[in-house]
Amino acid sequence: MKKATTIVLLLTLGISLVFATGAKEVSTRPEVVKLQVWYAISGASGEQFLALAKAFDASRPDIELELTYSGSYADTATKVSAALLSGDEPDAAIMAAGQLYTGGRGDFSMENLVKDPDFNVDDIFKGMLEYGMYEGRIAAVPYGISSQVLYYNKDITDKAGLDLEKNPPTTWAQFFTMAKTAMEKGNVNNSPDFYGFDTSDGVWLFKSMLGQNGNEVVRKVGDRVQPAFHEASGIEVGRFWKSLVDSNVMPAAQHTNAEKKFLAGNLAFIAASSNRVARWQGTTNFSLGAIVMPGFKNRSIALGGNVAVILTGDQYKREASWELLKYLLEEENHTAFALSTGYLPVRKSAQNGAVVKEALASNPLYKVAFDQLDNAWAYYHFQEMGTMDSFFWYALDEIEKGVSSVEVALAKAAASLEKEIE
Amino acid sequence: MRKQQEALRIHRVTLFGKQYESAQVRAAVVLLVPTMIAIILLFIIPVIQVVSYSFTNYNIATGIKKYNGIANYKHLFTDDRFFKAIRNTFTFAAFKLLIDTTLALSIALMLDARIPLKKYLRSVYFAPVVVPVVASSLIWIWFFDPGIGPFNQVLSALGLPTSQWLYHEKSALGSILMFSIWKGLGYNIVLFLAGLQNIPPSYIEAAQVDGAKGYQILFRIRLPLLRPIISFVLMIGIINTFKVFAEVNVMTPKGGPLYSTALMVNYIYDTAFTSGKMGRACSASIILFIIIFILTLIQTRLDTSKSITME
Amino acid sequence: MASLRKKINIPVFLFLLAGSVVMIFPFVWMIFSSFKTVADVYTYPPKWLPSSWKFTNYKKVFQMIPFGRYYFNSIFTSVAQTAIQLALSVTAAYALVVLNFPGRKFLYTLIRSTMFVPTVVTLIPLYLLVSKAGMIDTYAGIILPQVLSAFTIFLLVSFFSSIPTILFDSAKLDGCGYYRILSEVVIPNSKSSISTAMLFAFLGHWKSYTWPLIVTNKAIYRTLPIGMKYLVQESSSEYQIMMAAAVMAILPVLIVYLFFEKQLVQSITLTGLKA
Repeated sequence: MKKATTIVLLLTLGISLVFATGAKEVSTRPEVVKLQVWYAISGASGEQFLALAKAFDASRPDIELELTYSGSYADTATKVSAALLSGDEPDAAIMAAGQLYTGGRGDFSMENLVKDPDFNVDDIFKGMLEYGMYEGRIAAVPYGISSQVLYYNKDITDKAGLDLEKNPPTTWAQFFTMAKTAMEKGNVNNSPDFYGFDTSDGVWLFKSMLGQNGNEVVRKVGDRVQPAFHEASGIEVGRFWKSLVDSNVMPAAQHTNAEKKFLAGNLAFIAASSNRVARWQGTTNFSLGAIVMPGFKNRSIALGGNVAVILTGDQYKREASWELLKYLLEEENHTAFALSTGYLPVRKSAQNGAVVKEALASNPLYKVAFDQLDNAWAYYHFQEMGTMDSFFWYALDEIEKGVSSVEVALAKAAASLEKEIE
Repeated sequence: MRKQQEALRIHRVTLFGKQYESAQVRAAVVLLVPTMIAIILLFIIPVIQVVSYSFTNYNIATGIKKYNGIANYKHLFTDDRFFKAIRNTFTFAAFKLLIDTTLALSIALMLDARIPLKKYLRSVYFAPVVVPVVASSLIWIWFFDPGIGPFNQVLSALGLPTSQWLYHEKSALGSILMFSIWKGLGYNIVLFLAGLQNIPPSYIEAAQVDGAKGYQILFRIRLPLLRPIISFVLMIGIINTFKVFAEVNVMTPKGGPLYSTALMVNYIYDTAFTSGKMGRACSASIILFIIIFILTLIQTRLDTSKSITME
Repeated sequence: MASLRKKINIPVFLFLLAGSVVMIFPFVWMIFSSFKTVADVYTYPPKWLPSSWKFTNYKKVFQMIPFGRYYFNSIFTSVAQTAIQLALSVTAAYALVVLNFPGRKFLYTLIRSTMFVPTVVTLIPLYLLVSKAGMIDTYAGIILPQVLSAFTIFLLVSFFSSIPTILFDSAKLDGCGYYRILSEVVIPNSKSSISTAMLFAFLGHWKSYTWPLIVTNKAIYRTLPIGMKYLVQESSSEYQIMMAAAVMAILPVLIVYLFFEKQLVQSITLTGLKA
């Protein structure tokens, strides 16, 4: 009994000592600040990011980086959620904007950091800054930002007698006719599984189209977010969507297979992320073309991709993380990243910079995404955005499969979302 | 001699109104302590947490966790997608169990026959088990591709109708089932083979001497003797098919066309990690737990063979 | 006995041979694909053979991920997990089959219930536990939370219960205690069934993806399935590289399996007990 009491006492003493010393450590900056950085981008983009981060690491003797690939966007979200709950979170991370952990947890200290004059926040595109916002406040800075681009298979369009370079479609109605022609006359493979158009991410494209038709995705009324995608001009978009399927230009509910179809030459047009250009160019069996996305009332384009967040609460680590983010977003470094991955430059100055101009002149495919930059916007990010997207996927499936009418499918999704927001 | 007598003199203790041999009880305690520690840490503590989360609005994205009574359960019972997931799970499990068990048993019986290349054939049927899901599902996604997949190529070359496989609500779950059977068949074959090897050859010889025909030996001797292993395979099969997750998640990331491939664990995963609603995901898991519990209970009640299930 | 069934069963053989073609086709496809170029992969009508047989994709795997290190980690963690899991399961199964103690049936039900809960829900609670124990980013953190397996325990229960009880009784008469019955009767007589359980346990760990991903941050602790995931981007357009990695990940295991097949499957027979 006595023994047990002594052990308990000793343990308590030991633990309190650990805490006491732990508290002291904060007050002086260690000579070398060690940073844990997770990134959710893989393949060529991952390598490019790594190269830049390593260069930063080498240039700063006072900062030491430990870089970790944290899995796909979804895997990273799971990892970060778990780590935040236990306090093992990384100090900074490059991850999908879907889960803006800092904003979700009420940490908007990034608002102050971006005021840093070295950072020159005014040089960042407005839409991209919005992409890093959570409920209207800056919670992250944009990093690997992309927009959907309309790629096409030039062999198919040539065979169908379409000249996209000379006569690019400016409206979806014009595009519809072209896709139909391509579909009827351009089947180069003689494949029974041949289509005119599809997108690898239906929800993303639908959001762009909503914006083009002057319809919001969601809006904030008072202190509450409300779905808006089911309103009249949203239903118009849904009807156009449906007409693509009804006329057999777009296959029903096969978006997850669209990229494969396109690469195999069984799809004339695809709306896919601008970062595909780095991956596809020079590897396709056909000559690849790209044009700016058509529009309805305007040509606006919804952004996607990943952002950089700072998760640590430690003052010195925050400062060091900010140094890293600043470095990554310096015009020169970020432009290098953008030009080798197909992600977009986040700085306005880069768009007109000499490096970019030269690169774009020799590589017109990258230019398309750059041309769309001025019309880029981000929809309002809020807590239920992940849930909303899954309702959206389901609604699009219903519309494409003809299970419910456009009105009913969108209204149902809106009602489900409203129930979740409560 | 004395040693033997000592061993035979048994010390007994009475626990909970029953008599036990104290040496056995002591040995059991010692041998089971490591497993008990593992069960407490890896099962009981997490499950208590899961149960307590299920009565909260725990959101892992915001970290907010507040008691909200049975609101999660109420929500689940009004959620169409949850019921769809339950329906899909039952359909999947029924077909998978039926096809998997009969196919594995027949192949095991055939592999036990006198055939050349036995060793090679056994390895081939087992090989898919070795492949990680990340890789094998990628291979099969390709097979199922309506345009550039070999399945449709072969079908149309043979003049047969092609299919949209993973991309149509009527065929998507069936396609995943095909993959899943290819992948898991070897497991059960090995178990059945093990059971078959345990049947004493003398039983079969005696029957053959008595003039029994092949099918008589099968139905009167081999299958009845295999019953324990069949019931084992069924029990594990029920539990595992109700927990299928990875293959569906990789092959149809959004739950397939019209949510036709989403199984219960996929619903749970999406709820917890896409929407962040851990509380609701925990409630759904408890419902899943109850379903599996009831099904295994029914299975063991229906099953009269004693040796394995201990009931 | 041989004289009674000396005839080779030809229809059965042909059926199994046809089935084996179906089973093996995905492997053949995988090997072919690992030599393809991107252009070969995305072509219509599908091309079964690569246009040239070059090892470029294999080289690229090594450039993209520390394949050797991941391989080592996968083997190390799988072997360690299997060893601990087997030790736990053999003792537990033995106690459940041979010993009579209060709460035996309850324990049996409890162990079975551990299988009812999908791992995706216990992920967070387990992670919090492992984090409290300071085991994030350690081999122990990967290994220990996965050592409990009701499947292995039940498999061994079923094997142990087919050992004739007369062996236990005679061992008792020889003055064996219950620990010695385990070490001198049960284990030597179930070597092949324990190997089967071991094979299943090993494969279970070899494939495990989510837990090792969640619990490790440093690349030096990562296992092969995580490395393979890095090779596939969201759209899996690096298909051919992924296939090369898959071939390298699977072949050694298949070869090891072929070596042990005889012991694992063929001799899961208890005839040895007659001696």
